[in-house]
Amino acid sequence: MRSVLFAIITGLVGAALLHIVIILALPQFTGKDAYTRVLGLYEMDSFFALGSEPGTTGLANDDPFLRVAVCGFSIDGGPARFQARGTVPFWSLSIYDANSNEVFSMNDQTSVNGNLDLVVATPIQLVELRKTPAESLAQSIMVEMPEQQEGYAILRAIAPTVSIEEAARSFLAESSCEPFRR
Amino acid sequence: MFRIPLLVALALSVAFGVGIASVVSALKATVGFGAIALGPWIAFPDAQTANADPYARAHRARAGKLLLGGAEGLQFTAAVDDGGAKLSSACAYDITGLTPPARFWTLYATNANDVALRSGPELPSAFNALTVLRKRDSSFVIHVSAEAQPDNWLAIRQTGPFKLVLTLLDTPTAGSSGVIDLTMPKIVRTGCDNA
Repeated sequence: MRSVLFAIITGLVGAALLHIVIILALPQFTGKDAYTRVLGLYEMDSFFALGSEPGTTGLANDDPFLRVAVCGFSIDGGPARFQARGTVPFWSLSIYDANSNEVFSMNDQTSVNGNLDLVVATPIQLVELRKTPAESLAQSIMVEMPEQQEGYAILRAIAPTVSIEEAARSFLAESSCEPFRR
Repeated sequence: MFRIPLLVALALSVAFGVGIASVVSALKATVGFGAIALGPWIAFPDAQTANADPYARAHRARAGKLLLGGAEGLQFTAAVDDGGAKLSSACAYDITGLTPPARFWTLYATNANDVALRSGPELPSAFNALTVLRKRDSSFVIHVSAEAQPDNWLAIRQTGPFKLVLTLLDTPTAGSSGVIDLTMPKIVRTGCDNA
């Protein structure tokens, strides 16, 4: 009888260890995290506007008044540039790295002239950009992405009423997310 | 003769059974630590950052949601009413009051698995800061029920428990240290069908 009790206690100690191991290891092997889903859209280097129904990747516009577009990018070969212009009452952008940690986020009131113009670069690329500033980047916001080279961007625009729907859709459709070249 | 293998099997099955079950239930119960709770409304301002705790990281990797960044807004979720009872589609609720300062807000309902409820285009299934009808002091009352209501009616056409999601866009709420003073709308139960 005592050995049965001992076995159960051993099992519980093992369960506590296993709990910790699973929680810490889970982000590496779920295969359903946001970055994997964004990659599953097969749309690198351009904003992909999500539909209202979850597709094969399970990504969708959850909020009925927010139109969302996502873009997977890599700054391995050079900086990435995000641009959008248009008249929506509110838009916001956030940049995440491959571990889904927030790198940077902004909205239309923290932008220059209400337009999105953002460059994401590694610290070394950023030093080069600052050394020889490009004419076209005079208005751009520079963001440093120190640890990872891959990530994804989420661009959101609100469509509170049906009449603004068209503006929100075209705002997302005309946005760009591409490698920056001089 | 089989005592020792049996005991080993018992210890292993307890370890794996309890270990896996505890992980699943912990990830189902909460998004992680660091929640701010205002009445029934709960938000996780750090869940998307690198400062998130291991539970929040595991949860977000498993849910795979596109989270709101700090400058974008903050999402509050309510699974219970002000009395502490679970929100159920068998009951009717009134959401009354004002939201904390934000440039814009949206309100919609989800089922227990965080999938947005869409009751079809002919029924009102969501509200935002522009479409809600307000009183003279700019506060609002939203009736949440399965049956049609006058004024602001949020239709719940699905049986079972549900959650309410209030998204504040561009809000100082997340960074504010005086979070406790903020007032969220109240969720008051007004009646149940099968009481």
